[in-house]
Amino acid sequence: MPAHFIHETDFREFLKSLIASKPVIGPVVEPKSTGDKFIFDDVTSAEQLRLDYDVSLVPPKAVFFPPVQKLLEFGPNGVKSCINPREQVLLGVHFYDVKAFDQLDKLFNDKFPDNNYLANRRATTVIASSVQTVSKHAFWGSFGKDVKAKGHDGFLTKVQGGYVYETFSQKGEALLKHGKFGNASTDQVSAAKRENDAAMDKCQEKVTFTPAEISTKTRASFSNNEMWKELSKDCFSCGSCNIVCPTCYCFDVQDKWGLDQVSGERYRTWDACLTEDFAKVSLGGAGGHENFREAGAQRFRHRAMRKLTYLNEKLGGPACIGCGRCTSACVPNIANPVKIINRIMKG
Amino acid sequence: MSPKTKAKVAFFDFTSCEGCQIELTNLGEKAFMGLLDHIEIVEFREAMSEKAQGRIDISFIEGSFSREADRKRLEDIRSRSNVVIAFGACAATGGVTALKNHMSDYSEAVYGKDAKMPHLDSSFALPVSAAIKVDYSVLGCPMSQAEFVEIVSSLLHGKEPVIPNHPVCVECKKKSTLCRYGQGDHCLGMVARAGCGAPCPADGIPCEACRGFVDHPNQEALVKVLREKGGLSEERAFNKSRIFTANLRSDAVKGAGARKE
Repeated sequence: MPAHFIHETDFREFLKSLIASKPVIGPVVEPKSTGDKFIFDDVTSAEQLRLDYDVSLVPPKAVFFPPVQKLLEFGPNGVKSCINPREQVLLGVHFYDVKAFDQLDKLFNDKFPDNNYLANRRATTVIASSVQTVSKHAFWGSFGKDVKAKGHDGFLTKVQGGYVYETFSQKGEALLKHGKFGNASTDQVSAAKRENDAAMDKCQEKVTFTPAEISTKTRASFSNNEMWKELSKDCFSCGSCNIVCPTCYCFDVQDKWGLDQVSGERYRTWDACLTEDFAKVSLGGAGGHENFREAGAQRFRHRAMRKLTYLNEKLGGPACIGCGRCTSACVPNIANPVKIINRIMKG
Repeated sequence: MSPKTKAKVAFFDFTSCEGCQIELTNLGEKAFMGLLDHIEIVEFREAMSEKAQGRIDISFIEGSFSREADRKRLEDIRSRSNVVIAFGACAATGGVTALKNHMSDYSEAVYGKDAKMPHLDSSFALPVSAAIKVDYSVLGCPMSQAEFVEIVSSLLHGKEPVIPNHPVCVECKKKSTLCRYGQGDHCLGMVARAGCGAPCPADGIPCEACRGFVDHPNQEALVKVLREKGGLSEERAFNKSRIFTANLRSDAVKGAGARKE
């Protein structure tokens, strides 16, 4: 893969040119925070972009798979698709979130291609960037560390004096024209590698078991009802751990009538398997319903199963990329996967 | 309901501030007039002086049931209506009016020497469903405009309205709203029924659960979190959720639940 280098002093001009050419989405400060919380949003000036962010509140999957997405409009004249992707650059994604993109790419292309996701995905150039600040609850340095990030178009690593920019696709190459990039030297390439390798050791939270050991033990713990009850005692079934998860991909589809009562729209919105009604299904025309995960402990267990074992084979690794967003989002402090894994392994 | 004939809709009020009816007039000209192509309002004292005669398709009832003397009027509305909808927090759950249910000294505190006036003689504040069968509820204090439109639209199309049974946290997280607990504050969002779009936490204000609880709120964990993470005293942590959910808590007064068929 070709590696390029851009000096620190030329980086701002590169960003300015890029922003002027097409919409750029990147990590910026959440405006109501004290400067310590970040979101992915449209970047309107080079100064706004914060490549030194730790982690975003909502994962960048929202760029392809928005929290609320209009699927189609209907009316007396029929139905109209709402697929309307924007050519854009998503800049500054950390490698663990790229791993999540790779999983979503597989899942949304499995059997029935989901064009509402795929169209946005294809129209977006994804440029990853090195982790300059490690978030407090991250554990990507240990858990699933052998699963490599893929599916991005380029990777920026901050090194002494500038950035090493590796490109993996033509979309990634296309960005070169916006800045004074030169070929990266062997020293610069190895400096970038050292930088990214060193980040792996900076996570405060660590998982000491392999994904395979965890997968086997988690599956074997399915009937350990006492353990799931104990782990979920303080759970509100609020779904926060799902909503902030970069690999959660469940959604609910609803129709909404317009005020004219003859037209309307169909939309989908992120769903959360921790919430009570997630597994509630209709029993058909005669009425009534069945909830096949009625107890909070069952739903808590289901999340552990999904993240640690059920999807491993299909995805080539655990469906948890160690970002720690769920740990931060959980009000009663029970969603931390490291704690859950350690409890499961204890038996 | 045939789309050719307009549905007859009426509004009635009981123990409440009538703010939910006012909120309906805030729906805005476009939305309100749009709906009027499909419904005919036959009684709505905040906006007209006519009274409904005969059958009503949809009755919206605002306010809680807090006086035995009101039962007859409620039963009369029920018998004349095809669909009865509790309109706003007080009608749906008792709302703030149910705050009186665990107190006894409020009359003197509020009304002083007039405390014994006969019209102030009231009992527990209960949801309308404690007196008559209620088909649907428009939740919120004030009632949610979007939910009002969703329920009316659903009824016009013969569809079940979709009322969320997940908490406000879901809506905050989807919007990247900063969690109150991360800001040294407290919040009831984890047990509060969503559907409002979580505007309060987005404005930096804790959720007070004005739409009531989700079906199965973890009340023990709520008190624990309010105390340990929200920094509330033991007593305040215990009482905190009463403001809008007094009749939904595990210590609700007898009869606060829905009327048994």
